[in-house]
Amino acid sequence: MALPKKIKKTLNLVPKKTGYERRVELLEDIQRDGTYLPKGIGHADLDRGMLDFVKNDLKTFMDGKVIPTVDIIITTQNWSQFTETWNFQDLDKNVKPPFVSTVRQPEVPYGTNPSLQYTIPNRKQFYYAKVPTWDGQRKGVDVYKIPQPIPVDITYNVKLFVNRMRSLNEFNKNVLQNFASRQAYTTIKGHYIPIILNNISDESVLDIDRRKYYIQNYEFTMLGFLMDEDEFEVSPGISRTLTMIEVPQLNKARKVNPQPENPNEFPVNLLFVSGNTSLSERFTYTADLILTETSNIDSFSVYINDNYVGDDLTKIQVNTNDLVKFEVVKNSVGESKIETTAKLL
Amino acid sequence: MSQRKVPITRLNKFFADEDFDLDISIGQEWLHGDMNFTFVLYRVDRQRTKKDDVYGEVVSEGVQYHAPVELKGYVQIEAPTNAFMGSSRIGQVEPGNLKVGIYQSYLEEMGVDIEFGDYIGYYEKEDRVRYYSVVDDGRITSDNRHTYGGYKPYYRSITASPVTNDEFNGI
Repeated sequence: MALPKKIKKTLNLVPKKTGYERRVELLEDIQRDGTYLPKGIGHADLDRGMLDFVKNDLKTFMDGKVIPTVDIIITTQNWSQFTETWNFQDLDKNVKPPFVSTVRQPEVPYGTNPSLQYTIPNRKQFYYAKVPTWDGQRKGVDVYKIPQPIPVDITYNVKLFVNRMRSLNEFNKNVLQNFASRQAYTTIKGHYIPIILNNISDESVLDIDRRKYYIQNYEFTMLGFLMDEDEFEVSPGISRTLTMIEVPQLNKARKVNPQPENPNEFPVNLLFVSGNTSLSERFTYTADLILTETSNIDSFSVYINDNYVGDDLTKIQVNTNDLVKFEVVKNSVGESKIETTAKLL
Repeated sequence: MSQRKVPITRLNKFFADEDFDLDISIGQEWLHGDMNFTFVLYRVDRQRTKKDDVYGEVVSEGVQYHAPVELKGYVQIEAPTNAFMGSSRIGQVEPGNLKVGIYQSYLEEMGVDIEFGDYIGYYEKEDRVRYYSVVDDGRITSDNRHTYGGYKPYYRSITASPVTNDEFNGI
């Protein structure tokens, strides 16, 4: 009895990443075993990727054996396909069914991959990554730039040669399962490349007086892209800026009017409002306070940093950050005042 | 076939059954005695062969055969053809078909019939045999070519196309 659909048959021990973490994972895949730059992709890489896709993802069994694949793109060099098919040749050295072969249409037109359309003109390099550097003295960065990949559409005809209808069915099931959503993905040098199933046609040899076998043709389009590593650019980022100013010797600029100089003496007045007999002041400079006048004060005591200094002093030496406290005895209730002059030292 | 027999009186002014038999025996003497082309017929046992229910295709190792029979006939092998397999650009040299002319009376004497789908093994060399599948068993012999001057049919033309070893490799 089949299991209910909601029961999971397998459990992922490693949780799958999503969102930003997944994007980081994809980037790490692209850069694995290499530099910080993505790996370049050429026509041969795309062809190799298609062969691997056919060999692994479309693997089909017949009578418990894997239907072999011709693991090269068939070209004009006949000896090459001859050597690649040694394992499944008959006594005439002909390739004997069943087997799968991949034929690439030689022309490679500009691609239709929508994510790579005409967006960055003239092979202009764009920012890809910043990589920290250290030359033993200075920290800096290298700026990695690459041009926009060039989209290409490559058409492949994957042909199945078999003697039995059941083998056709099995391979057809494999293909349609992989392309149930019209497209499947293959990974080439860390890049995900979509493949679209275009058409399925029949080329079977069914002449009455000839050897008969089925040939089914599956036409795929790979929406690939080309990236030439030679076009990648690594340049040092800016770590120091040299600013040069040219000053004309004939200076006709307006002179700046001199501002009054800061005074060395200034008044420091202490006002004791009614009911207040104590004031504290933290000085942010070093100066001598010279008593100039008092009003409504009988006597006063001076403390610096809570240390008693003296009563009714006419000169108080204060240093920067000193906390000076004045305690007064008033003649009468009301407002009192001590006027001093601070002389900066 | 009708149970009622009607004597053939065509050409009776200068040709009769005795002449026909004599010429056939002379031809057989030449073909079997002098030429001596022999081949092996592997007849498929259509009753015991295991077949697929839907497509009627033989399951792996499922074909059953009657005992092989060595026969003599006039064997011709056509020239091979060099062509691509479909549009695959995989070229191959396809061996030519095997054509056998065989006396009808000889088949009756041996008590065998050659049918569509039977296999024929023909030794090209002492250590190399090629197998063919019968694609035309020549059962219709009504045309003039297969009659002796229009008198009576006397031989069958069998056409067989080569098969790969995975389809048939002797028994």
